Amino acid sequence: MTLNGSGTSGGTATLSGTAPAGAPNGEKPLLEVRNLVQEFPIRNAGGVKGGMLQAVSDVSFTLHAGESLGVVGETGSGKSTLARSIIQAPSPKSGEVIFDGINLVGLQRRQMERLRRHMQMVFQDPYGSLDPKWKVSDIVAEPLVAYGLGSRSQRKARVAELLELVGLDPEVHGDRRPGQLSGGQAQRVAIARAIALNPQLVICDEPVSSLDVLVQAQVLNLFEKLRQELGLAYLFIAHDLALVKQVSDRVVVMYLGKFCEIGPSDSLYTEPLHPYTLALLKSVPDPDPEIGRVQSEDVISGELPSPLDPPSGCRFRTRCPLAQARCAEEVPELRELRKDHFVACHFPLPGNDDRDLTAVGSTVAPDEASA
Amino acid sequence: MVTPPTSMGEPEAAGEQQEDRGGLRWWAAFISSPTLRLAVRRILIAIPVMIGVTFLTAVFLNLLPGDAASALLGADATPQEIHQLSIKLHLNEPFFVRYWQWLVGVFHGHLGASLQNTQPVAQIIGQHLPITFELIVYTSIVMLLITIPLAMLCARRPGGIVDRITMILSMGFLSIPQFVLGLLFVLVFAVIWKLFPALGYTPITQNIGANLQDFTLPAFTIALPFAGFYIRLLRADLIEQMESQDYVVTARAKGFGSWYILTRHAFRNSLISFVTIVGLNVAQLFAYTVIVEEIFGLPGLGYQLLAGVSDRNTPVVQGIVLVFAGIVVVVNLLTDLTYGVIDPRVRYGRSAV
Amino acid sequence: MAALLSETETTSSAQGAPVLAEVPSPRGRGWVHSLDIYIPGGFLLAMLFICFVWPYLYKIPPPVGGNILTAGLPVGSPGHILGTTVVGNDIMSRLIYGGRTSFEIIFAVQGIGLVVGGTIGVTAAMLRGFTETIMMRILDVIIAFPAIILVVVIVLGLGASEGTLIWALSVVGIPIFARVSRAGAVTVREQTYIVAAELSGSKRWRIALRHVVPNIMTSLLTFAVLGAGVVVIIEATVSFFGYGIPLPGPSWGNMIATGAQTMSTRPSLLLIPSIVLLATVIALNMLGEAMRRRWGTVR
Repeated sequence: MTLNGSGTSGGTATLSGTAPAGAPNGEKPLLEVRNLVQEFPIRNAGGVKGGMLQAVSDVSFTLHAGESLGVVGETGSGKSTLARSIIQAPSPKSGEVIFDGINLVGLQRRQMERLRRHMQMVFQDPYGSLDPKWKVSDIVAEPLVAYGLGSRSQRKARVAELLELVGLDPEVHGDRRPGQLSGGQAQRVAIARAIALNPQLVICDEPVSSLDVLVQAQVLNLFEKLRQELGLAYLFIAHDLALVKQVSDRVVVMYLGKFCEIGPSDSLYTEPLHPYTLALLKSVPDPDPEIGRVQSEDVISGELPSPLDPPSGCRFRTRCPLAQARCAEEVPELRELRKDHFVACHFPLPGNDDRDLTAVGSTVAPDEASA
Repeated sequence: MVTPPTSMGEPEAAGEQQEDRGGLRWWAAFISSPTLRLAVRRILIAIPVMIGVTFLTAVFLNLLPGDAASALLGADATPQEIHQLSIKLHLNEPFFVRYWQWLVGVFHGHLGASLQNTQPVAQIIGQHLPITFELIVYTSIVMLLITIPLAMLCARRPGGIVDRITMILSMGFLSIPQFVLGLLFVLVFAVIWKLFPALGYTPITQNIGANLQDFTLPAFTIALPFAGFYIRLLRADLIEQMESQDYVVTARAKGFGSWYILTRHAFRNSLISFVTIVGLNVAQLFAYTVIVEEIFGLPGLGYQLLAGVSDRNTPVVQGIVLVFAGIVVVVNLLTDLTYGVIDPRVRYGRSAV
Repeated sequence: MAALLSETETTSSAQGAPVLAEVPSPRGRGWVHSLDIYIPGGFLLAMLFICFVWPYLYKIPPPVGGNILTAGLPVGSPGHILGTTVVGNDIMSRLIYGGRTSFEIIFAVQGIGLVVGGTIGVTAAMLRGFTETIMMRILDVIIAFPAIILVVVIVLGLGASEGTLIWALSVVGIPIFARVSRAGAVTVREQTYIVAAELSGSKRWRIALRHVVPNIMTSLLTFAVLGAGVVVIIEATVSFFGYGIPLPGPSWGNMIATGAQTMSTRPSLLLIPSIVLLATVIALNMLGEAMRRRWGTVR
């Protein structure tokens, strides 16, 4: 079943070898996303088509087993759409999503159902992702029942084990319904359900955004703990760099459906290359002396342009303090300026003159080729 | 498609949406406008629905025991006579052939002729549609005149005495079957007080006063149950606007009185959903004209429809059903287009991103 | 780690309290606040009791076969508390047996509508795409048809009786239930918990049965109660025009029809069945509205 090795199917042979953002070692990635595009028709009243909204434009990355990739961007940057496209709900417009060697795009329903077992998701709204009519124990048992795992008593024991693992008391919470839980508890139930099948990958779509700050920290701790204990890989989405710091090995910054920057956490947080990343870092209320010194004109201003009509060239240029004429004409492609650290910017931030060191300039994604 | 929509001013209504621009540009804007595309799309969807409705009518009429020939000739007719008349009326041809011929005729602009007296169906509709139309217009006016002021009075002081009484009354209105209400009206206003005639119809050309008198009880009979429903709907929407919307809070802060805010702000915003519901319910309105015309002896299309069903007069029934369905489609379309007039965001096809 | 987790537990429970306070369950309120359900509900239960149980407990005159000797008795006559009709039938008895017919028709029609229409609607919503469009277009055709005419035509075709009335009304009701349950199912199928269930590996039919149906059930029941008023009205209207329950069989509709003929001389023959019919419809509507306020509904 496993499609062995070099994904020659896509014809992007240059990519198959050099995993975009640096595989720690040359092993096969767990998840590989290639040139993913997702768009939705915009309909006005009466159902007349009004145009296409490209929520994710030509995005590529890889994720290895046990690795955690943070995805950060403002509301409307396409990060949640990216998550939904990966789990094929709905399937992307074009591109490939290769999970464990199998391209999920265009896969038949039945095969997809088999694969989804290894790929689970935790959603932003904990209440919305739990059926309000179901008891907590039934919710957590749903994947076990669906895959016909174990007898009734075995499932019951497994549910209790899972609830304890996420910090809930099976006796107290098992018989409650989602409406009787706090936001943090509900999210823990959703997490318990997500890990019930021992998945390899858990996609977390802003899993703590709707929680109170104190609960946020607790749930983040839980994610970190589960990752260590169960060896999970995360695609961890958030709109705030501070939130993903704790749980991410690498971080992607998204803006209007495109990647701005992708790199290892330490490198990206201490020495951001993209002006947008810097602006996001500065909005984090955690004063890091190194970043805190940057001039105030770098602060982001203005509003997100309409994704229906994105700016030409670099999509961030309308709000970028460093924008120049070239930014409007030429789409910046992702370049590897430091080891495993890529940026899509014509004028990466100053103070990072070591770019000659690794001026490989390996183009990661043939940007705009399909557009 | 031969339907009366053209008489209802559909192109004008669509045209009104455009600002007055110069000739060619106006047309360019009109042809590329979402409004027109919406209209065309809706009409294209409506055609199969209307064909389906008339086909279903034909199927049901065909399933009924007895046929037009025996209905026309009465109980004394010999089988021989019935057979001859059947051949003359083409009733002996297979069902699908008859329906197909009728459908082809419709697309050529012929609605066929009554089996009873060979009067063209188009002519029958032309004679009787104005009566139903007058009834609908009168009903709508009565309905809106009752609904809008009462709903506003209720929304002005929710829980107040006017509100409570209106809510009880409206529950009564919307629960009362039209035929019961019609009979009670006849009992009270025609039998006991003798204010209005119980039965009968005077053409509007003959005596406008008598004509309006004839239409008053029927119009109120249809209007009251609808008004009961609409009052509750509009009241709830107005109260929601008054309680939760930011612009209402702003207007209050500016010192405007609640009546001013209600009429100038809240009502305008409630109007969109209100118009939608009223428009969607026009089909129901037509269904009730059938009952009321029967009770009050108004010779409208509904009356003809029931007569047509009992005579198995297929062409007449088909034609009337087609007209009713066509009017419903057009009114629903107009309702959609009206959004654009009331809410400019819809007109320009902008979506709230 | 265990200590941390137990700490988490207490914090979360503490936060659970206000959430509960914000969304009070209907059961949590006092009975006074549920009067909007109890009053119409109680009235309807009383009506059901009188129509279905009362005749077995106490002997009442038969609804048909009255003789000319007892014809035209006024309200309050001994043995005939609401009087008799012009052919001598007991009015109270006719009301009770007519009500029985009405309630039987309500239960049958709304039950058939709920099951068949609900199945069609949920299936359409779960199948999505072209199949869904086609199914809904076919239903649109039937719904576009004036309900009363449809019922009359079917009853004419099959012969008037309680059974044919039920089938005729079901033909009207099923598409409407289908449309309402499809609308509800479409709302539910877009919920995150459906995506979550798919990710959990649940099959489509299981999702439909275990997630979609339970979540649209309350609004469907509300709709059934609100629609019951319409069923009574249509049944009475059709009987009024002489296409429904045939005389001398008792029905509120044909009682009103015969009462209308003598309205100038004996208005009580028209008024009594009219009031009973009206009160029943009002109670159904009030109960439906109260249910809608509690649980919301799909349009």
